[in-house]
Amino acid sequence: MNRTTTAFSIGIKEQVRNYVLVALLVVLPVSFITLAFAVTQNVEMPVRTLVDGETVTVMRGMPEVHGVIMTPITSALIAGLAGLFLMREAKDTDGRLAVAGYRARQVIAARFGVLAAITLIVTGVSVGVMRVDFQPEYLWWFVAAMLVVSLTYGLIGMLVGAVFNRLAGMWLMLILPMLDIGLFQDPLFIQSEPDWWMKLFPGYWPVRVMVDTGLTTDVDTALSLVWATGYLLLVAVLAIGIYYRVTQAS
Amino acid sequence: MNRVRTGIRSNVSTFLRTPLDVVLALLLPVVVIEGWGQAMAGLPTMPTVEAIPIDLGRLLGAIFGIAIIAGLMGLTQMISARTADRRLVQTGYPPRTLLATRLATLGGVTVVVAAVNYGVLWLTISPEAPVLTFVFLVLAGLVYAFLGALVGALLPRLFEGSLVVVFLAMMDAFLSGDSPLAADIPEFVEYFPLYHPKELLQEAMFQGTYTTGNLGFVAGYLLVLLVLVTVVFGMTMRTSGGWSA
Repeated sequence: MNRTTTAFSIGIKEQVRNYVLVALLVVLPVSFITLAFAVTQNVEMPVRTLVDGETVTVMRGMPEVHGVIMTPITSALIAGLAGLFLMREAKDTDGRLAVAGYRARQVIAARFGVLAAITLIVTGVSVGVMRVDFQPEYLWWFVAAMLVVSLTYGLIGMLVGAVFNRLAGMWLMLILPMLDIGLFQDPLFIQSEPDWWMKLFPGYWPVRVMVDTGLTTDVDTALSLVWATGYLLLVAVLAIGIYYRVTQAS
Repeated sequence: MNRVRTGIRSNVSTFLRTPLDVVLALLLPVVVIEGWGQAMAGLPTMPTVEAIPIDLGRLLGAIFGIAIIAGLMGLTQMISARTADRRLVQTGYPPRTLLATRLATLGGVTVVVAAVNYGVLWLTISPEAPVLTFVFLVLAGLVYAFLGALVGALLPRLFEGSLVVVFLAMMDAFLSGDSPLAADIPEFVEYFPLYHPKELLQEAMFQGTYTTGNLGFVAGYLLVLLVLVTVVFGMTMRTSGGWSA
């Protein structure tokens, strides 16, 4: 077993040993998403999306639209908080791994691997619960966009964890995805062309993909998924750079 | 009395020593209130769906904002100083005095955050009953501050605790907020922490009145939370705070 795998498996064991956390990672998405479907009015609502390359307004059931938004909010929130706390932990401990002879890239790969594993679990649980009440038209496109937005928020959580303390970080990592995915990208609330600043948020491109591939019968947002992935890569580069600096300094 | 004053002073100075927390505590309410108001106002009117007036959106943003800021602060207050608290108990600080200093600090910061929320509402809406509006914002914040403190005392890890507080606040804000998106809201939602504060705030803001029943419910809620926090905090300090054998 090489060093990266050792550090990764220790990180995973550390999380798995924490039964409360494991339970919460399952119970919270199940209860939140199920509740969102259960109490949402079953009424057709106008939704602005791409159909055959053109932006049009289509009528879709509100529970489905709400589900398309609540599912990524859930995973983005949890991944964001996970990233935040992983970075705070790293600030305290990972410098010691460097002293013990670990190379920076090995520590980084292990920590980011733990974040990716948590994100995968939360995304899987969230999509699984959503599928009880709603089947996206193109499941794998939908899942890909979910993963991208959740990983992006996980990495943003890491960036926030490097700059802010725990309290400020928690405030930000709650309010940012709520405002971004829950309000500024929600097609129920934004019925016209979004303002330019709304497009700068991490949820803009992935949620476009989810609305399109979840609620329409064509895939018109392949390019949006490319942009979303580009955004993710940019945040990843920033997070790796910051992580490197933080662990060097500690 | 001196111990209480010293404790409060030290807690407040710890909070003020992190200027980013102070700046965010003052800035986030503005962002949340305006974000909620502007975005929710975009919901179209449909046969069974009522549009949300921008002022109601702002009010819902204010109540969610203060709940989450105070709730996470309560959680952090209880968890971050746990080790120090144990040592203080070992040196003779009574757990109740210690808890009183923590809750008093929480109360003080909640009042300041409520004042910022109130300021934003006052500038954008002009409440019918300004004093009542401010008092009810404080009450909403206190409910979540105590709830956060209770979660922190029961579940002394920030990641897990924050997940509980955050998801509770989100479900609470969605269900208690009379969301036009929702139907068939279960009756037990009346027992959610924000339900009655939101009713009080809405009445004070738009009609200038309040219902005694709602106020009594909130007071009872706060009392129950206070008792629970005191009991749980006392237990954790007793079991973990004694000298080891």
